[in-house]
Amino acid sequence: MTPQNHIELRSVRKAFRYFTLDDLTLDLPPGQIMGFVGPNGAGKSTTIRLAMGLIAPDAGEVRLLGHAMPEHQAIAKRDVAFVSDDMKLFPHATVGWHMNFIASIYPGWDATYAATLVKRFNLKPEQPVKGLSHGEHVKALLLLSLARRPRVLILDEPTSGLDPVARHELLSEFMDVLRDDSRSILFSSHNTVDVERISDRITFIDRGRLVDSRDKEDFLERWRRIQLQLEPGAVLPELPNIVGRVADGSFVTLTTNRFSTALIEQLGSAVREVHRMSLEEIFVASVFHHREVAGS
Amino acid sequence: MNSLTYKLIAKDFQQHRLLIAGTIAIGLVSLLVAGGGTTLLFNLGMLCWLTAIAAYGCVVAMLGIATERKERSLLFVLSLPLGYGDYVRLKLVGLMLCFFVPWAVLTAGAVVLVLAAQGMPDGILPFTILLCGFLLTNFSMVLSCALFARSEGVMTLSIIVHNIAISIFIFLIGPIPAFRDHLQDPAPTWGSEFWTVLAVEGAVFVVICSLPYFVAARRRDFI
Repeated sequence: MTPQNHIELRSVRKAFRYFTLDDLTLDLPPGQIMGFVGPNGAGKSTTIRLAMGLIAPDAGEVRLLGHAMPEHQAIAKRDVAFVSDDMKLFPHATVGWHMNFIASIYPGWDATYAATLVKRFNLKPEQPVKGLSHGEHVKALLLLSLARRPRVLILDEPTSGLDPVARHELLSEFMDVLRDDSRSILFSSHNTVDVERISDRITFIDRGRLVDSRDKEDFLERWRRIQLQLEPGAVLPELPNIVGRVADGSFVTLTTNRFSTALIEQLGSAVREVHRMSLEEIFVASVFHHREVAGS
Repeated sequence: MNSLTYKLIAKDFQQHRLLIAGTIAIGLVSLLVAGGGTTLLFNLGMLCWLTAIAAYGCVVAMLGIATERKERSLLFVLSLPLGYGDYVRLKLVGLMLCFFVPWAVLTAGAVVLVLAAQGMPDGILPFTILLCGFLLTNFSMVLSCALFARSEGVMTLSIIVHNIAISIFIFLIGPIPAFRDHLQDPAPTWGSEFWTVLAVEGAVFVVICSLPYFVAARRRDFI
């Protein structure tokens, strides 16, 4: 194991009655924002709960800041902040009470930064939590997480249900946190726009299995959609690294996960257009390809 | 226990402070009614006193554990630097303390009532103390169930059992001759039956309170 990784999962398995997370290996090095992307029910929250020590793996090894989880979670969580979309603060206490509470627990609490975030997020410390809207509640959770200056920030669908303005505000704050390159973020979402904006490494997960994990730029460089127009009677040769093929008469659209100029040269004059793919398109194509391979 | 555990215990106590004050107030008023001098007022007052303690215990266990789980505040608590054992310990100690304060005040109030009220025989004191002891043990049962239970159904069942258990205790212990025959005595009789029942209550209390350490705190999945 690489000791400097903030999060390490090795061949982790966790079985539930109707779902199994299987053979998951994942590393989050310091200073990295990892976007953890998957459809609903893919295993994102299960993975995060394993990383936080809230559930124990049936097999494999989980380490958070080098500490074995869940055994040493009390020590590991001193330097970790965790926010989940279904996490709730104490409803009868105020935002200010929670700020004082967290400040009294974490020595690294930055009161100046907390005050800045209160203003930026337009929160009222005297307001009871039960009166906050969903967006305000998420902002309060993030304020409490960010102002403690954690080494690792674990976010499980934090922008779920937020309006675009609130999402923009939160994502900007995540970028601010990463100015200190010793910190890292694991950011789970099925919103690829958010993930594409802030992540520098992306991991796709589907049906409890890791689909792919690499640098964002690597994803964007490797995946292309190629539109071809074939001559009448022409047959497309078998090509390597083609993960999708859609034909409409003489028009064919190929999706490749290892784009190269050699491929274009091989296709020759049939090539009409080559499109870069958005992360969402890559995600969908990647998941379908993974399911196809797994099903074969 | 570390400082975070103490802070969370203090949070539980602070959260329930109005409920604690309300229970004490209702219980003391009930005791005043019970000391009114007539059998009707005594029965009415003691029933309200008993209900106040028992209902409060159920509410504390519900709000402190089951509702915290249901409203997802548990996830926030578990995001803090705590282990499962710490959580079980803080809930057990914190909520026991929340129950203990009104229970102790109202037990003391009942003892004072028996000893001070005109026309009330002191012979009722042993049974009163055993009943108070049972209420504490019975609360520990609901509290432990709340720590084990992951469904509202189990929690509801434990509350039903808790409430039925009080009636069973009264009907089982009350008719024992060592208690029944001395209820009207001018002075309390501290026979061996009293000490036996009290010891059983104490032993059951210790066993029930230690069960969560061996079961709930050792869960592999806590959420």
